[in-house]
Amino acid sequence: MAERKITVESEVGLHARPAATFVQTATKASIDVTVAKLGGSGAPVNAKSILSVLSLDVRRGDTIVINAEGEGADELLDQLAAIASAT
Amino acid sequence: MTPVLAPMAGAAISLSAVPDPVFSQAMVGPGAAVDPAREPGVAVAPISGRIVKLHPHAYVIVGPDGRGVLVHLGIDTVQLKGVGFDLLAAEGDLVPAGQPVVSWNPADVEAGGRSPICPVVALDAPASSVLRVAAGPVHAGDELFQWG
Repeated sequence: MAERKITVESEVGLHARPAATFVQTATKASIDVTVAKLGGSGAPVNAKSILSVLSLDVRRGDTIVINAEGEGADELLDQLAAIASAT
Repeated sequence: MTPVLAPMAGAAISLSAVPDPVFSQAMVGPGAAVDPAREPGVAVAPISGRIVKLHPHAYVIVGPDGRGVLVHLGIDTVQLKGVGFDLLAAEGDLVPAGQPVVSWNPADVEAGGRSPICPVVALDAPASSVLRVAAGPVHAGDELFQWG
């Protein structure tokens, strides 16, 4: 299981464009990938669901943990981490 | 089939006409938009369900079947930080389709240099599932599209 812990730096948090790009990137992968917000309920949600990601309500400065397992997990997590940490 | 209602009166337009590529390219999902009447008004629930996210400028309602619909009140309106928007419901509320959720004034949003156009998006839906998209004048609560 590969994991990344990222602080979200976008002014709008993981909403709007960052959220859409994040979910689009996750959806292109064939492996399962989850995202959780530290300090929230903590429960990981499906990173391929825009509804789930918007419902996490990740704000600027929040820390998220993304998890994936399988072929290409590290590459995928690097891509998602770059999207989530972009300003 | 889930009928998705126009959240406010105005002109129903294609999502592709929304002046924000996040919506016009359906990055968030398929749907439609309303170019609202430039007068003070309320934005209502497009479907019956629970308000799972309520921001002053946007809300998501999830129906009993798990389908979620996003209503975004104007473009780049997150920058207004809630000024000009009054919440008429609370996050977690169960609401029937047509119930007022936020009051606002599209004319004020436009006067502030932003588009008041409201995307209404079927979340996690394939593009082919959005059917019978309305075009032209709509009242709040009229059917905007069918989620098949």
